[in-house]
This record gives sequence, structure tokens and C-alpha cells, in this order.
Amino acid sequence: MADAQNILAKSRKLPVNQLTLQAPSRRRGRAGIWLPYLLLLPSLVFLTLFTYWPFLQAIISSLSTRRRVHDVGEFAGLENYRRIFSDTEFTTAALNNVLYAIGTTGPSIALALVLALSLRNSSRLNSLLRSVFFFPTLIPLVAASAVFIFVFMPDIGLLDYYLAKLGVSSRNWLGNPNTALASLIVLTIWKNAGYYMLFFLAGLQGISQDAEEAAIIEGANRWQVLRYVTLPLLGPTIAFVVVIALIASITQVDHVIVMTQGGPNNSTSLLLQYIFRQAHENYDLGKATAATVVTLAVLLCISVLSMRTMERNVHYEN
Amino acid sequence: MSFKSIKMGVAAVAMSAVLSGAAIAAEKIEFIFPAGVQGKISREMQRLVKEYNASQDEVEVVATFAGSYDATKIKAQAAAEAGKPAAVALMSANYISELAMTDMIVPMSELMEPAGIDADAFIGEFWPAVQTNAIYDGKLFAVPFQNSTPILYYNKDHFDAAGITTPPATWAEWIDVAQKLTKPDGERWGLMMASDYGYIGWLTQALTMSNGGKFFNTSYPGEVYFNQPSTIGALKFWRDMVHEYKAMPAGVTPNKQVSTAFFAQKTSMMVLSTGALSFVRDNANFNYGVAFIPRNVANGVPIGGASLISFKGTTPEQKKAAWSFISWLSSPEIIGHWSRFTGYFAPRKTAYDLPEMKTFIKDHPNALLAVEQLEYAGPWFATYNTVAARKAIDDQMQALLSDPALIPEMAAENAQKTANEILKPFNDKMAGTVIK
Amino acid sequence: MKTSAPLSFRKITRALILAILGGLVLVWASPFLWMAVASFRPGGFGGLNMASLMPDFEPTMENFDYALEDGDFPLWYMNSIILVSGTLVVQLVTISLAGYAFARLQFRGKEFFFYMFLLQLMLVPPILIVPNLTTLVQLGMYDTLVGVMAPYWGSAFGTFMMRQVFRTIPKDFEEAAIIDGCSWWQVLWHVLLPLAKPGLIAFSIVSVVYHWNEFLWPLMVISDPSKQVLTVGLVSFALGAEGASDWGLIAAGTLLVAAPLFIVFVMFQRQFVNSFMFSGVK
Repeated sequence: MADAQNILAKSRKLPVNQLTLQAPSRRRGRAGIWLPYLLLLPSLVFLTLFTYWPFLQAIISSLSTRRRVHDVGEFAGLENYRRIFSDTEFTTAALNNVLYAIGTTGPSIALALVLALSLRNSSRLNSLLRSVFFFPTLIPLVAASAVFIFVFMPDIGLLDYYLAKLGVSSRNWLGNPNTALASLIVLTIWKNAGYYMLFFLAGLQGISQDAEEAAIIEGANRWQVLRYVTLPLLGPTIAFVVVIALIASITQVDHVIVMTQGGPNNSTSLLLQYIFRQAHENYDLGKATAATVVTLAVLLCISVLSMRTMERNVHYEN
Repeated sequence: MSFKSIKMGVAAVAMSAVLSGAAIAAEKIEFIFPAGVQGKISREMQRLVKEYNASQDEVEVVATFAGSYDATKIKAQAAAEAGKPAAVALMSANYISELAMTDMIVPMSELMEPAGIDADAFIGEFWPAVQTNAIYDGKLFAVPFQNSTPILYYNKDHFDAAGITTPPATWAEWIDVAQKLTKPDGERWGLMMASDYGYIGWLTQALTMSNGGKFFNTSYPGEVYFNQPSTIGALKFWRDMVHEYKAMPAGVTPNKQVSTAFFAQKTSMMVLSTGALSFVRDNANFNYGVAFIPRNVANGVPIGGASLISFKGTTPEQKKAAWSFISWLSSPEIIGHWSRFTGYFAPRKTAYDLPEMKTFIKDHPNALLAVEQLEYAGPWFATYNTVAARKAIDDQMQALLSDPALIPEMAAENAQKTANEILKPFNDKMAGTVIK
Repeated sequence: MKTSAPLSFRKITRALILAILGGLVLVWASPFLWMAVASFRPGGFGGLNMASLMPDFEPTMENFDYALEDGDFPLWYMNSIILVSGTLVVQLVTISLAGYAFARLQFRGKEFFFYMFLLQLMLVPPILIVPNLTTLVQLGMYDTLVGVMAPYWGSAFGTFMMRQVFRTIPKDFEEAAIIDGCSWWQVLWHVLLPLAKPGLIAFSIVSVVYHWNEFLWPLMVISDPSKQVLTVGLVSFALGAEGASDWGLIAAGTLLVAAPLFIVFVMFQRQFVNSFMFSGVK
């Protein structure tokens, strides 16, 4: 960077130390103060139409007694919120979602990290292996769910068939309340770990080799380099991926819908699926929208916290 | 009015219109339908629609596939609520009264009257068992199209090998046979029954009816009988098959799993819809047979299947087009063809008088069984907020299948309690209405 | 001089890691291997050995034939291609503009707008189906591919990604261009975007994969069979509602849906990874 500055300075016949970045507002004054807003406008148009406006409608619905879209309800205050928090199906769905979020995010990211670290170097073999792990991301979740119905089928499914060769007895993975959610978690990890691996591969490539080499020269062993240099530098990427993973754990429910519909006995019901059911099967718009608002509030907190953490740790190369 | 004369009539009109220089624009209507038991059924429906469109000029039906029964309901409703109601939809029969109650579909008379058909006379041509689910508040709201009942499929080869000559007719025999056919360590099960959401409620109803019970009040959509002795007996029977007699695997076994296991000969008997009959016919590479659901007190099964409905908010022209399509689809010829193709039984009695049907039945006695069981069939569970109300018992039955410690009486009480809460808004409203 | 003990310890750990990796690879690949085998299996059901990864039958193309003849794959491919490209093109414009604003400009309410954008990450269209469908009807976009695309044309994910990318580009290049008299959009077009290309590619990958595989929203918006996309087509065609499933057909259908993405990925793998790498997501 120093070279660039020198070159620029020489070309402008200015002393180097005078070539500083000028205050943005002065420079941007020429472009007009409306510019930022104009740039955001296209995005905002679509966001308003398809995000804010429907969400506003949802909030209003959550405060009324309407059960269907065209009902004329009356103002109900926080009644719907009281109803969902006293509905065991909602609390079960919320608890399941927490377990599911932890169960998918933790292992997926850990696995993705391990894979990225192992497959860091670009070799033919590594390219092939990376592909294998990334392929699940490329098929639709509905299709993966259909295939995994077979995988989890007792006795004759893929899992039990090969477990039997190892002497493990068959289990009704999806049909037993104790194993159903875990089975869905396994599917999700299978599907997403490769995707996160890609982010980490990128992050690793972006870490300056100098830092790691310096540490090795100073006598650190592999693990210490990993722990004290690599991982911290990877911090922002990890934070970013954690946010993506947490959001996915709440917004992706295709597999629940295809494989278990929330059963057996609500053991796999998740928040979005609960919302869906309330809106479309029980015609309880109030509950559905109240649950939506609550879910969103939680997601927002998670995202804000993670974004803040990420912002603080980012180093730029200026 | 025969099909041929309609065709000729339409052709004549079209000809004269062309000759007079005026063009007739075909009325375009949307037909939403769910996925059949297998892909080939959806494809056949598409083909039928093409055939209908080609046969006349007045109506153009756009067939829209929608997925499962539930997804079809959601999509059709979402479309209606967004202002684009489908003129025709094929809807699961147990949703009809709910859709009628919430004023989303129109009474069939609105479609039939302009064509001069009397709704009551029309529905009289259909089996009594399927009529109840199509009628709400004394009015006909749907035309039954494909119907089923649960039946018992069994592996004849296994039966022969075990020396069993006839399929079980009573619960006692059923337990006995199932135990005899079960091999230890899960190598083979005697019986498997579909227990995913929806199916499990249907089969619980079947067992309750076989136990002499009612399951729900067929004349009043606000009352269910989950904690009655007959229901408890049904819950106990199914639960015992798993935990007591060990002839059935534990946990929830969705319908795909059950059929796959049956074809892989991992289970000697399975309870599934007659709608799967043609699928079984195509895929079982062993001798199989079908039988009534065994009785404890008396034979009794609920019907299942789907009916044709029309959403509110369409124009009179669309309604006319809708009726034209519906009456074609539900004609004895087409409805009979559909039954032979899918394995569902034809809800229209007169379809069985046609020669093609008579020959088919002679060649495929299994298909006749569903019709014979109709004598003992009753309406499908349909109440206010029917999915939520049924889920109350679905959840409990699923729990019973997985947890040996749960007592059927407790499960029944839980189900009744939950269902009562769900039905409360309806009952409150009824309690406060002025008696007309 | 190092003793041999640490060396063999290293060897053991490396062997262990390789073994674990090998095991993972096998586990990860097994569903695909099964799909490959099952899609060539005749008759839909293979009896007790249907999970076997060793083909023990005469392979047949009948599942693929069914799929291609009776399903409308060419039409579905075309619609899916239209869908992902139409979505992507507009997204690239909106995210570049918005990303630039967030990365380089100061303005009142910047943080407020930032969090407003964040909202969109979470409010996926299926959550708000009915209001969104109503909006589409009012705009005349119901039952059109445009209607499926429109809610995604503003993309918080893309905006944040571009913001990140732009922030990692040294300001010197822009400064030089501005000194030379370039306006903001010339700077954007000639300086920043070329440097941000890897980020744009990375986002494109994310967007294409997401929309190629989307199911619920297109199912709700599209009714006309001539506008149907791959995922909905696949489900309509291979999954049954009331009691059975043809596994060979499901496997064949899934492979047909995923094949184009697989092929593209394998061919451009290095670019894929590189683009993620240079997008500055770190």
C-alpha cells in the first residue's frame, strides 16, 4: 500500500504526507446529499412492498381478534401473545427450535471448520473431497427430505441396512419422539456443512500466511498456531456463518413438512411450522402472526448481537 | 343427455359461430388438484383434463397440481383469499364442512341450477356413505369424486406358509394371526398400520367404529367422542398390538414406510387405503389378498378420499364452466374409469352398472371389496377446525405407539380435553344463537 | 535433532484425521451413491436389499425415461433458468447500489437503514404468504414468474456481502479516479465493481442455488403448469399423497433436478472457491 501512495503522490507532485483521505462529506458534497438515499431506493422499494408492508400487516393482525384475512376483528391488545405463550404447542415448538438451532449450528460449523482446515490446500484430491461435501447444498431440501425418508426407514433404509452390518439393531428414527428431531438435525448438518465449509475455506485463504509463519518460527506447534493465530483471525467469518446458520435453523422447515409434519406427537414441530399450521390449518391468524412477531424479534436480537461482534473484529487492509 | 349429443351440440354451435364470423372465447377456469397416490395418477389427471379440453370449445380447464391434500387446501385457500378463487378444486372430503362453515365454497346448487339439475336428485345417485361429508347445513357443497376406505392387505404367500387359510375377521383372530406371522428380532412383523398425521386419525376412527363406537357427532360439528369407552378400546387395541402382542413395530410408521415394508415382505399384513390398490397391484411381486378391517363389535370404517368443490368469488360464466367440467368428471363413464385406474372406489352408484365396470370387477375381485365394505362405511371425521381437533387424538395415539408407559385412558382424556378447547369457539357461538 | 517419538505421534494423528475424513466422505456421499444406484433399478422396489449400494440387478433407464417423457423437464428447466437469472440480474443492480451506499457514503439514518435491511434476512416470503400473495395480485403479478422473483429483488444478504467487499477494497483507487474527475457512478462502474467481481460471483452462486432449489414460494405463486419450476414439477411427479412412493423415480427425478448444478460446480470449482475467497468475507 505504501508503494501505491508513493506513486500517487509522485504523479500529483504532492508530498506524501499531504495525500491523506479527505473528509467524506466534503468530497461527497458534489454528488449531492440525496445520493445515498437514491442508491438505496431500488432495494427499499422491494423491501417495502414485500417485507415491511406484509410485516406491518402481521403486527396489526397479531393485535386483533381476526381469524381469517378478511375478518373484521376487534382490537385485542396483547391477548394473542398471552394465548401463544400458554399454548403448549407453541412452547414445545420454541423449545424444539432452540434444541434444533444448537444441534445444527454447533456441529455444522465445527465440522465445516475441520473440513476447511483439512482441505485447505488446493490439490486434485482436495477438490474432489470438497465437491463431495458441497453437493448436498445443491439439491432442493424437499428432494433431500424425500431421499432421507428412505435413509431413515427402519430395517430396509440406508442407515439401518448398514448399521445392521455393524450389528446395531434397527430403530424407527423418524417415528420415535426421542430420535425424530435428532434425525432432522442430521439431515440439516449433512445438507449445510459443505456450504459453511466454503465460507471458511475462503476465510482461511484470506488469512495472511505471514502471521501463521511468524508464529511457527517463534516455536509454536500446530495446535498453538491454530488456537492463537488462525482461529482468532477467522473470527469474523465464524460470526457471519453463525448468523447464517441460526437464521437457517428458523427459516428452513421444508423437511419438517415433508418428513414428519411436526410429529411424532409434536417432537419435531418448529416455530415456522407452528406458524404455518396456525395460519393455514387452524385459521388462527392472531396466533400465527403473534408467533411470527415473536420469532422475528428473537432472530433480530441474534443478528444484531452477531453483527455487532463481527463489526468489532473486522480488520481492513487499508 | 349423452356425451355424444353434447359434443355434437357444441360442434354445431361452434360451426355456426365460425360461419357467422363471431369467435367464441373459451371460458378459462382453474382446477386445483392434489398429488395422487403416485406420480402416474397425477399424470392421468392431466391427461383427462387435456381430453376434456379437446372435446369441447366452451371451457378451457387449466389443471394445477398442488401437492399433498394439505398443500392443496392451503394453496386453494391462499389463492381465494388473494382474490383468485379456483373455480374447481379437488379437496379432501373431510375439509368440506369446514370450508362450507367458513363460507369459502359455494353450494353446488349455485352451479347446478342454471343447468337445470336438482342437487338432491343428483347426490342421490351416490352411495349413502359418501353423502354425509358432502353435505353441510342441509345443502350439497361437493361432488364426491374419488373415495376410499381403509382395508387390510395381506401377503398370501406368508399366510400359506404359516398354514393360515382365511384372513382374520375379528380382533381376536387378528391378534392371533399377527402374532403367528411375526418373526423374532424384527425380522418380520405381522402387521403394520399407517400412523402419520391424518392417517393415524383415520385408522383410529376405523378401529373405534369397528369397536361399535362413533368417534364424533356426525350431525353436529362441535362434539367428539375421544374419551368414550369404544374409543378407549380402539386406542388400547392398537397400542397393545405394539407393546403387548409385539406384532407391530413401535413408533410412528408413515404410510410410505408401511407400503415399502409390505413390498419388501417385511410385514405380512398392512392397513392402508383402498386408494393404494392399483399401486399394490403394480408393485407386489408376491400373492396378496385384501380383506375387511376386522371387527370387534361390528364392521365399521370411515370413508376417505376427495370431492370436487368450487370456491366462492367466481363469475357466473366461470360457475357455468365449472359445472360443465364437474359434471363431465363425475359422469359414470369417467368416474368409473378413474376408479379402475387408481383403486379408489367410484362414489357414484351408477358407475357400477356400466359394462366396463362389470367386466373389471369380474377380473379384479379385490376392487370389489372396497365397494362391499361400503355397507359398513360412515362419514369421515369432520368438525369445526377439523385438522386441529383431529390432531388432538393423532398426537395421543402417536404417543401411545412410542411410549409403553402411557395409559390409553389418560391419552383419551388428554385428547378429549384438547379437542374440547379447540371446539369451544364453535360451541360458544352455538350456545348463544337464537333458535330459529 | 528431534527424537522419533513426536514424529510418530504426528503420523498417528495424521492417520487418524485421514481415517475420520475418509469415514465422513463415505457418509456424506452415501445418499448420492444410493440415488445413483436406485435410479437405475427397475421396478421401483428392490425388496430387502433396496438400500444396497452394490447394484445387484440389471440397470435400466426406465426411471429416467418415465421422468423425461411424463414429466415436463425441458419446460421446468427453462422456467427455473428464467427464474434464477431474472432474480439475479435485478439483484446485482440493487445490491451494488445499496452496498456502495453503505460502504462508502455517510448519511443520516445510515444505521437505521442498516437494521431495516437486516429485517429482510429473516422475513422469508413463506412466512407471510397471504399478505405477499395479495400484494402480488394487486400488482398483477400473481401466477407469474416475475411474481416469484419480485420479493427477492431487494436482497439484504447481497447488500451486506457487497458492503463487505467494497470495504475491503483500498480507497486509493477511488481517490485516484475522483481526482481524475470521475463521478460516483463512474467510480462504481469502472473501479469498484471490477475489483468486486469475486464478491459478485460468490453472491450469484448463493442466489442461483437458493432459487433453483426453492419450493414453497413458487408452489404458492404459480398455478399455470406452463410456468412451473423444477422443484414443484419434481414433487408433483414423484411424490405421492396417500400411501406409496416410487423410490427409483424419486432418485431419478432428484438427480435430474440437481444435475445442472452439479455439472456447473464441478467444472468451475476453483472459481467458486476463489470467488468466495476474494469476496472479502472474513
